[in-house]
Amino acid sequence: MSHSNYLIIGSSHAALSALEAIRIQDTEGSITLVTQEDTLPYSPTILPYVISGQIDPEQIFLRDAEALDRHRVTFKKGARVVAVDPANHSVSMDSGETLKYEKMLLATGAEPTLPPIPGVKDASCHVLRTLGDAVRLQSIAQKAKSAIILGAGLIGMHAAENLAKAGVQIAIVEALPRVLPGYFDEQAAGLVQQVFTEHGIKILTGSTVTHVTASNGTCTVSLESGGELSGDLLLVATGVRARMDYLAGSGIDIGEGIVVDDTMRTSSRDIWAAGDVAEARSFFGGKKRVNANLPNAVEQGRIAGMDMVGDSALKPFTGGIARNAYHFFGHRAFSVGLVGRAESAGGIEVDQVFLPSSVQYQKMVFEDDRLVAVSGVNTMLDPGIMYELVRQRVDLSEVKARFAAGPLQMGRILMSKIWG
Amino acid sequence: MARTIVCDGNEAAAWGVALSRPDMVAVYPITPQSSLAEYISQFVADGIIQADLMDVEGEHSVLSVLQGACLAGARTFTATCGQGLAFMFEPYFRTPPLRLPIVMSIVTRDGITPQCVWGGQQDAMTVREAGWVHMYCENNQEILDTVIMAYRIAEHRDVMLPVNVNHDGNYLSYGVEKVEIPDQEEVDAFLGEKNTNWHAALDPDRPMGVDPLTGGAGGLGPALFVRYRKGLCKGMQNALGVITEVHKEWEKTSGRSYAPLIEEYRLEDADYAIMTIGSMTGAGKDAVDAAREAGERIGLVKIKTFRPFPLQALREALRKVKAVGVVDRSVSFGWNFGPVYQELLSAMYFLNRHIPAVSFIGGLAGADITVDHFNRVIETTAMALHGEVFSEPVWLNENDQSPGSDRVSQ
Amino acid sequence: MGKSYPTIAFYPDRCDGCNQCVEACAEFHSGTRNPAHSRIKVSQDGEEGAFFLALCRQCGEPRCVPSCPAGALKKDIDTGVVSLDESKCVSCQLCTLACPYGGITYNPITHQVMKCDFCDGDPVCVKACPRGALELKTGSDIYNGWGDLEDLFVPGISACQGCNSELLIRHTLRRIGPNTVVATPPGCIPGVGAVGFNGVTATKTPIFHPLLTNTAAMLAGIRRYYNRIGRDVTMLAFAGDGGTADVGFQSLSGAAERGEQMIYICVDNEGYMNTGVQRSSTTPYGAWTSTTPVGTVLRGKSRDAKPMALLMVMHNCEYVATACMTFMEDYYAKLEKAVEAAKRGMAYIHVFSPCPTGWRFPPSKLIEVGRKAVETNMVPLWEYEAEARCIDFTHPVEDPLPVKAYLSLIGKYNHLDEEQVAHIQRKTDERIETLKKFTREGDVKPIQDAA
Repeated sequence: MSHSNYLIIGSSHAALSALEAIRIQDTEGSITLVTQEDTLPYSPTILPYVISGQIDPEQIFLRDAEALDRHRVTFKKGARVVAVDPANHSVSMDSGETLKYEKMLLATGAEPTLPPIPGVKDASCHVLRTLGDAVRLQSIAQKAKSAIILGAGLIGMHAAENLAKAGVQIAIVEALPRVLPGYFDEQAAGLVQQVFTEHGIKILTGSTVTHVTASNGTCTVSLESGGELSGDLLLVATGVRARMDYLAGSGIDIGEGIVVDDTMRTSSRDIWAAGDVAEARSFFGGKKRVNANLPNAVEQGRIAGMDMVGDSALKPFTGGIARNAYHFFGHRAFSVGLVGRAESAGGIEVDQVFLPSSVQYQKMVFEDDRLVAVSGVNTMLDPGIMYELVRQRVDLSEVKARFAAGPLQMGRILMSKIWG
Repeated sequence: MARTIVCDGNEAAAWGVALSRPDMVAVYPITPQSSLAEYISQFVADGIIQADLMDVEGEHSVLSVLQGACLAGARTFTATCGQGLAFMFEPYFRTPPLRLPIVMSIVTRDGITPQCVWGGQQDAMTVREAGWVHMYCENNQEILDTVIMAYRIAEHRDVMLPVNVNHDGNYLSYGVEKVEIPDQEEVDAFLGEKNTNWHAALDPDRPMGVDPLTGGAGGLGPALFVRYRKGLCKGMQNALGVITEVHKEWEKTSGRSYAPLIEEYRLEDADYAIMTIGSMTGAGKDAVDAAREAGERIGLVKIKTFRPFPLQALREALRKVKAVGVVDRSVSFGWNFGPVYQELLSAMYFLNRHIPAVSFIGGLAGADITVDHFNRVIETTAMALHGEVFSEPVWLNENDQSPGSDRVSQ
Repeated sequence: MGKSYPTIAFYPDRCDGCNQCVEACAEFHSGTRNPAHSRIKVSQDGEEGAFFLALCRQCGEPRCVPSCPAGALKKDIDTGVVSLDESKCVSCQLCTLACPYGGITYNPITHQVMKCDFCDGDPVCVKACPRGALELKTGSDIYNGWGDLEDLFVPGISACQGCNSELLIRHTLRRIGPNTVVATPPGCIPGVGAVGFNGVTATKTPIFHPLLTNTAAMLAGIRRYYNRIGRDVTMLAFAGDGGTADVGFQSLSGAAERGEQMIYICVDNEGYMNTGVQRSSTTPYGAWTSTTPVGTVLRGKSRDAKPMALLMVMHNCEYVATACMTFMEDYYAKLEKAVEAAKRGMAYIHVFSPCPTGWRFPPSKLIEVGRKAVETNMVPLWEYEAEARCIDFTHPVEDPLPVKAYLSLIGKYNHLDEEQVAHIQRKTDERIETLKKFTREGDVKPIQDAA
């Protein structure tokens, strides 16, 4: 029976960050890295670019076999965990194998969910989460002329752009009133939508799908508004959920994800969780929730690894902050924090620049003289510096006017003075 | 073939050094040792001594460079006296507990003040508790022979202690006598392989911390310290047997025999005895001979080895006599007597032999101790034998009158 | 053991915002001088006038690298550079969100992110800066050069927090290596257990306590014997200022005059720290010590320090230098020369060794105290090579800070009145003038054979 000092389930950003953190302190302990994928580790974020052909699927791996060897990692591909037995420090694999561990990290990420729309399950719809999905879509995209995408979140939008670049006619259906609702406000989303539309992508926001039918390789989507859309390809990108079905019966606390504390420990001894599967403290309000974005997975993975190995330099998680960077058709957008706070009351100040003609937008939200959210489209800001200003709750009362006038320069100056 | 030369005591010592093949000699001049430093230097210049000549800036460094060299594995020699020895005292005191088998001549000299450059044993006697082996020579041949023997004693595994070969400033340092110089091969065979640092080395091939802090308020530290101290005492006691054995061996090699610890002279049927140390012994023996001729049953005990103190060797000698007069060439200020006398009193207690003893102090500041002086010693000791009690020392030169006649020029 | 890498240091007070670094960077990377292509970004605080830099730090544990979903960013183990493989980059910009330093930025012309690539190891920005505001710091070369060698000093010794001597010993022994005999006379260094306690030692080379008075003499004896038997063993002293300038001066002077082959390092903490902070002849004027106390009558030491290093220049030494651990590269360079010089004769290094405990300053300020000492000219860094017969300043301070900038950091100078500070300033200025006389340009040459 395999026995590891450290067992890591998953092989994407959170898992790899934990692995690195462990190896800094413990160069000897045995590490087993398990993935249900049949490939070397990769990032789901890269997958849309596989579809367009911008990147060769062979070139996307975050670690090659040699690097894993160098870290003396036992790498198990194509192995799916089906059950966890915390009392015996063991997990069961789909192959029937049992793996023993001393400490375990669950970094199993998220999986797509299908909306409860009649016909979706029967239609041969696609999702985009794995390399297999992406390669399949890429091959179909070469033949397909048109595609319908359900959901205008990051996955849907990324996929739309990349399918469009592959020459496919795209229609996106989004139930909410704007695209990228999780990250951008109305103005920013409007600019994104404008650019997509200019590139021939049809976007139907505020549209609910009533049912889906498929026949002869064509999917037809019926809308509540009465219209219908048809395409050679249907991609469902309406949402994801934490992949934690294997925890059934384990006794480990779960909510929308695996509940963890500020060092990524689950309710069970010697088990940690990080990344898109983890439900950790939010920076704002402190409520626990899944904050599924890539930088967050990296950070949580590092914290989990450091805690697993007992690294005394560990600083606990300061809470998840929504953040993302988004590049579309040569434009760039990013967001940090709660951009939707503008509508809230009390102590809130908003500084906005909106130049739709040049596709530019910048919004900064302050609460009690501290930056709580920034988003921008085609602005020259350093997103990482803005994130730190939010996370460190930097008091801007002395410099707010100068900051508002020149956030790029002032951000760099504050960085130099405070943490640079 | 051994050859015979005529030389003073300092040159005799230098020949002893040459024959012992040291790796390093260190010199710093001081009267009356200076000519010894010069002989050594000249011998190195002439290739007679094939050693590093460390012409350093003071006696303190003299002994310091030798300690370093010795810890690296060198056989070493130097000589000093008087203020030089005083200045050297800091490393001097440290040489025995480091168990470094350094050989050093003390060409004994009286201590200042009054300012004085002449002979006396105040220097060597003052450092008698520092842990060095002290041997006093009676004549130039004995100086040469004892320097050679000193290496065998110092480097003996059971001893591993530094040795002072002492000879009287002025009287031996400058006095010329016939001296036989043994063959180098004989000396090489006698001394064998050198052994200076098997126990404590400063050698990257055998890295160790030499002389870490040892002690503290309790526990291991002080216990270790006691171990080192007892080890030194044991080495010192072992030296008594080793000195005796080495003298016997040297007799086999050279044909010359010396009393290793003490010499008994005409003691067999003696009622009383005088006790001497160093070069005064010749005059003492002459006085004893004369007294014998006059019918006195008198003998003489010469101390050769003063450290370690030859307690058991004195047992026999003291059993034979009923009174002793001890002639010191130095002063024990705290006891108001001579130091050798003082030590004899201690010995008598240990040997359970309680006989009258008189302290004589003479030969200070270069003064000669003449046969006349010894006659006084014998007469006074005879008075003690017959019951008179002397609670004060007799200062032999106290009433010397004619300046110059009994002084030795510098 | 890992590697350490060079970095680009920025000195804001030397920057005048000329932007030549920015233009040079843009030109090197794009062929045009358009600042949009520059990886180095200079910002000015309009209110304070000061300049700030945003530039990739080539972090040891970069946040950008693990945040790249394409595996396009890598920390190069050989050069330390965080490199961007543009063929893999999909311009997702997540790296710009991960970096807290503004070190990786979006180029609106190429629509790609860009970052400093160190220009193949020879950054053009550094060369372009006319005011020395950018410096390529290769202090890490020391680590790369010697980091793989064994630390010959055990961990866990009982030195005070922030002890300069420990820093000094570890570096020195690592560089000089195990074929060495170390002498360290009574003082802080054996006091922390360097030679050992009760039968165990803290040093992996042969090491011993000489007397406080005879360090140089004992080493001379050892070295001479090794020469005699044909072994090349390095003699190294770590002696305090007391064992060097006071009671050990005679034996040092003699050994130097005789040309004894050794590296003699005086660890000058300006007094007898190990015995409770008493004055020595290198205690500076005005300094409080427990034997130059501050009261209504006395105001600290009333005499100036003995110029020990300069005295050694007049001592037939092969090499004499002053050093300060804040300037580690400078020290290593000097150690290098000392090792060579000690094959011919005496190499003497006078190490300024601030003592947090005895001088009354926080341990965290050790390096800053060293820096200020040098930048005020209180501790000029120079070296003397017998062959050159002159002194060279190794870290010339053209525009020295007032001595107060140094004195105010240290508790032992707290009591100084204006007159005393003025005295120290005057003496500091005079000392530099004296030293300058011995430089190549000066009118005095310390000619050994003239003595």
